[in-house]
Amino acid sequence: MLFESGGITENLDGFDQLSWQGGWINASRPDTGEKATLGPSQNPVGLQQLPGVSYGMTHQPTYNPMQAKAPAPPGTGLYPSGPYQPVHPVSSYQPGPPLSSYPAPSGQALLTRPLMGGPPSHTPPQSASPGPRLPPAQATPPPPAVSSSSYYPNPRQPQPMAPAWHYNTAPPPMGQPTSMSIPPRGPVPNHVNPAASSTPSSTPYSSAPPAHVPHSVTQPPGPGMPPTSLHGYTQPGPAPPPMTHMAPHTYQPSRAPYGPPPTGPPPTMKPTPPPTGTLMPNATPPPPKADAQCGGAVNSTLPPTEPDCQEGDIECPGTVAGNGPQAPNSYNHVDNKMAGLPQPGPPGRHLGHYPSLPPGYQNTSALHNAGPPMHPAMQAATQPYTQPPQTYQQPPGGPGPAQLSQSLAALSLQSSTPESLRVVNLLQERNLLPPNPMPAPTPCLPQDLQKINCNPEVFRSTLTSIPQTQSLLNKAKMPLGLLLHPFKDLSQLPVVTSSTIVRCRSCRTYINPFVNFLDQRRWKCNLCYRVNDVPEEFMYNPVSRSYGEPHKRPEVQNATIEFIAPSEYMLRPPQPAVYLFILDVSHNAVETGYLNVFCQSLLDNINALPGDSRTKVGFITFDSTIHFYNLQEGLSQPQMLIVSDIEDIFLPTPDSLLVNLNECKELVQDLLKSLPNLFEKTMETQSALGSALQAAFKLLSPTGGRMSIFQTQLPNLGVGALQSREDPNQRASAKDIQHLSPATDFYKKLALDCSGQQVAVDLFLLSSQYCDLASLGCISRYSAGSVYYYPSYHHQHNPAQVECFQKDLKRYLTRKIGFEAVMRIRCTKGLSIHTFHGNFFVRSTDLLSLPNVNPDAGFAVQMSIEENLDDMQVVSFQAALLYTSSKGERRIRVHTLCLPVVNSLADIFAGADVQAITGLLACMAVDRSATASLSDARDAMTNAAIDSLTSYRQSVLTIQQPGLLAPACLRLFPLFILALLKQKAFRTGTSTRLDDRLFAMCQLKYQPLVYALLMIHPALYRVDDLTDEGALNINDRTIPQPRVLQLSVEKLSREAAFLMDAGTVMYLWIGRNCHPNFLTQVLGVPNYAAVPDNLYLLPELDTAESQRTRAFIGWLRDQRPFFPSLHVIRDESQLKPTFMQNMIEDRTESALSYYEFLLHLQQQISK
Amino acid sequence: MTSLTIIARVADGLPLAASIQEDEQSGRDLQLYQSQAKQLCRKLNAQSPDRCTLEAGDMNFHYLIAKGVCYLFLCEASFPKKMVFAYLEDLHSEFYDQYGRRVPTVTRPYSFIEFDTYIQKTKKSYIDSRSRRNLGSINTELQDVQRIMVANIEEVLQRGESLSALDTKASNLSGLSKKYRSDAKYLNTRSAYAKVAAVSVFFITLIIYVRFWWL
Repeated sequence: MLFESGGITENLDGFDQLSWQGGWINASRPDTGEKATLGPSQNPVGLQQLPGVSYGMTHQPTYNPMQAKAPAPPGTGLYPSGPYQPVHPVSSYQPGPPLSSYPAPSGQALLTRPLMGGPPSHTPPQSASPGPRLPPAQATPPPPAVSSSSYYPNPRQPQPMAPAWHYNTAPPPMGQPTSMSIPPRGPVPNHVNPAASSTPSSTPYSSAPPAHVPHSVTQPPGPGMPPTSLHGYTQPGPAPPPMTHMAPHTYQPSRAPYGPPPTGPPPTMKPTPPPTGTLMPNATPPPPKADAQCGGAVNSTLPPTEPDCQEGDIECPGTVAGNGPQAPNSYNHVDNKMAGLPQPGPPGRHLGHYPSLPPGYQNTSALHNAGPPMHPAMQAATQPYTQPPQTYQQPPGGPGPAQLSQSLAALSLQSSTPESLRVVNLLQERNLLPPNPMPAPTPCLPQDLQKINCNPEVFRSTLTSIPQTQSLLNKAKMPLGLLLHPFKDLSQLPVVTSSTIVRCRSCRTYINPFVNFLDQRRWKCNLCYRVNDVPEEFMYNPVSRSYGEPHKRPEVQNATIEFIAPSEYMLRPPQPAVYLFILDVSHNAVETGYLNVFCQSLLDNINALPGDSRTKVGFITFDSTIHFYNLQEGLSQPQMLIVSDIEDIFLPTPDSLLVNLNECKELVQDLLKSLPNLFEKTMETQSALGSALQAAFKLLSPTGGRMSIFQTQLPNLGVGALQSREDPNQRASAKDIQHLSPATDFYKKLALDCSGQQVAVDLFLLSSQYCDLASLGCISRYSAGSVYYYPSYHHQHNPAQVECFQKDLKRYLTRKIGFEAVMRIRCTKGLSIHTFHGNFFVRSTDLLSLPNVNPDAGFAVQMSIEENLDDMQVVSFQAALLYTSSKGERRIRVHTLCLPVVNSLADIFAGADVQAITGLLACMAVDRSATASLSDARDAMTNAAIDSLTSYRQSVLTIQQPGLLAPACLRLFPLFILALLKQKAFRTGTSTRLDDRLFAMCQLKYQPLVYALLMIHPALYRVDDLTDEGALNINDRTIPQPRVLQLSVEKLSREAAFLMDAGTVMYLWIGRNCHPNFLTQVLGVPNYAAVPDNLYLLPELDTAESQRTRAFIGWLRDQRPFFPSLHVIRDESQLKPTFMQNMIEDRTESALSYYEFLLHLQQQISK
Repeated sequence: MTSLTIIARVADGLPLAASIQEDEQSGRDLQLYQSQAKQLCRKLNAQSPDRCTLEAGDMNFHYLIAKGVCYLFLCEASFPKKMVFAYLEDLHSEFYDQYGRRVPTVTRPYSFIEFDTYIQKTKKSYIDSRSRRNLGSINTELQDVQRIMVANIEEVLQRGESLSALDTKASNLSGLSKKYRSDAKYLNTRSAYAKVAAVSVFFITLIIYVRFWWL
């Protein structure tokens, strides 16, 4: 059932390997009620399809608000395209009893948000400051305001108690003491409940803290963060009078602790005894075990106890902030204390919070407990489980703990609850984005293993904890896969030369750091568990020059290593570097003026082409005929040979078309200098690309090498001719997009021939018209090439593109390259890889044929679990890339990744890597769009989010609360999915050219994860107030580090300037009232009106501001191998709509806002 | 035309440089020839004849061993032998000049792959029929080429194998004879016991007979 097509099939016709496995996604039309799932591939098809509700919920696009169960905000109903209708929801909402379940978002909130479009609703921490952007610091509104300002104003305060209660799971009932007494969650009765009940003394107090806590959103306290609006909750207009008052207090306390950057290392346990007596009692009953355990980073509110440091510890020494089951209690304490603290910070910052409780409670609590500052402890608690603080930047403040407690309670886990499992109510927490780029989660491995584990930039898994069985994986409904960047440029790479490479005799795994040495003479393979002998040679360690310590060898000390291959790894002598350039010289091409740029770039970099004295180059140009260039040594000038018989192409002189670069450099240079002029007057408009490719293939097939095609129009002559398939009127269609798959298999077949002869084809498409990238792209896709696309390229009209082309070309020509490569990915017995994503051809089930490999190529694979991984603590994955360097050395680069195996759903969720999941889903969705339809792919992505959150809710959370709950590690999942839906590749309803869309799809599959993520979810920075605070220092350059802002118009302000980094392009948006200082010091213009329309370069001014801005942009650019062009835009600019389309969290005519999307998800989940 | 040139270190058969030229028709066979060439490089040792021509179907392997380096050339059988050895001599002198000293120290295969460029150029000058005439005079001194040993590639490659087969047979034989010996010993002992038993029975019977009937 699982994978009908499971294996990768290699039949020539089909190449299904690239397609999604059948089982994987069943997308279906909304009307039918079936659902499209991107879920784990393994899901049996049958299951999903059967009932509409395969995963327990059906996905219905059209939502009827009225029907919605209680809390669900109705707005979402028309998810797909329907306009949002706030009104209904509201009305229904308020009256509805549902409250209990869904306290937070009030009807108003809903209304406000969508309607407002923005700014006011979100950002302003306080309702008070509606302004779109509040400077974070300033933002802090008056305390009272805070409470009232709720992000989603609570319409109904009265109810708070009940709902809150549920909501938080936190034991303390909101309003009333009585409620408190009730144990909220069954599993952990002791902890929470008792505490709550026990604290009689200050009813308000006790109750308050808990309630409070849960609500509080974890927001990074950082100054940058505008206060999260969430607060508002408590304060619903009517009820709160007292509360409001109080509220401030509470916040303050909590804040104070926060004030310090959350990121700081978690204060290791700070057992400060809870000051308040009341607290103590709570805590006492169950010893807070968890906390203590992991390395001490625990918050031990409960000083004494930590009797049991049982679990967890080992695995995550130090890092973890343990949250024992009891945690709740402790948290409470913390909270209280926090409250008590003096708070420097403005209350506003706290944002995180939305008190579900009546304000009064909160206040009281605050007042009562003024304890020693717990915050360290708190922070510890809040800290991410495995990682250093920054990762999940949560705000340490009071909220953190509360939530933890909540999750703890819910989970009823005995072991410490990882931070990544902290329950986050997405509907209430707004500021989820980390202020800095998010690091990859660290697998929960013993430290000695983790220390040597593979760098996540190279090798990353969607689940850092591998489920023990397939059924468990199916339950989790998350895709299992790996993302690789195997040929990444590495600054440090150990290289081993030895005559024998030690490998497992049965599965051929390379020896790696995760094998077991049974004794000096034998090692046990970590993939197949065979016991192998250690060869004599391996006993000697060349590094330490010692004998008898095989485990000290570099192979066993490095997860990433490169071997110089002995001759057994060569089928033929290593090939020379061969570069063949195929240039379009039709009228259209000459018009764009790209030839000049190309020839100049190649002239400039001709000595930097990777290679040795054997390097060969050749040139072919074509329009309606094919032109070859004889560059043989001894000629006084290049000879052009024209072949006009394009039906039966042949090589005029086989020997002298590809020439040794060193020996014929002058001829080559002559040719490059004269080429742009040769065709200046051409009137030939046709393009016989297919024949040119065939000729090039003939030329390269004896040696293999790289073919670079520069094409500027639709090929329309001879073999491989294409027709225009795009209907401009359909660009904005919300219906299905057609023509996403190739029109002819000519290019694919040719690519396969190329692949067989070790020829890779790179495609540069510089075009203003439709070029059918869907068909042309195949030539690169199956030959492991890369695709570059410059829409509307013109040497005069589009200088930004020209610069971009130049920079890309430079990188392209000079980057490292590996020839005649193959890559094999192995994994521990029991796991199997069934689908690969990227550009390559799958030669046998697990062998990827890569005629060329370059450092900018990423790959992804999907895996399934075929046999239960019962007795295994860890599993390993190994990617081995065998290639010939440009110097003629045969090398093998081996990466090994080790991950723990877990058997509980909670642990699986705790290890989820939301970035990797997003990356993998994007790849799967691209395949899905080609094989099924775009709407299937979109549904499947939405369902992926719904399924995993449903699964989390049903299987991990033991207490059902209202709201859209997600573990902290997946808190960005819905946002990323929404971003994908709005990404060029998958969006509907917005005018998108077919080629743009297809290029975006290529990029999603081909780009390494880091870059793909930026394309999916651009980063927004405010750049008019860059400071050196927190700046990086690299090579004596100071690089400011502004925080990442949410992609919402509300974050923009007319008084500021913002930089949006969308991976391949950057926008610098200048607000109308931008501070003149910025205009003059950075842009070098006197006022706003003087900002030129087509500014794509920042002037190099000698001012601190200019230097900072340029340093920051330069730093962003340096981090990626391609060159993002920069566009300075104003309100009037043509590019403004493009800029605004990236405001993912906002609503557009055809797509939901983030909040609406969340409501949609919630509605599907609670169905 | 198809040709294959390999330069390898004799001591361990490590390939040092190579050059391949194939035409479209013979591409398939080339893989076979390549692997034969590799095996051949491994088989050669200091005791091998310095110059030799090995027949392999309609192609011939020619090799020359000098200063611990083997120069192997594969070409059509019709190609004149003296031309081949002139070409190999040429390669040798140039290769020895450029890399001779480093040969014993390298460990990586194809360390001198850049020599490929020279190989190709030289080969072209020898193979090209026009320039061949010019070289004719130089090569007269190589008349003794006729005396170069000719053998069949299969024989050479299998020579080692038949030896090892012989070795296996011999060891089998010795194993069998050992077994026979132990079996024979065992049988001997058994028969000895049987004889002793028979004799003792006889004597006992005799004694009893004498004891009861005679007395």
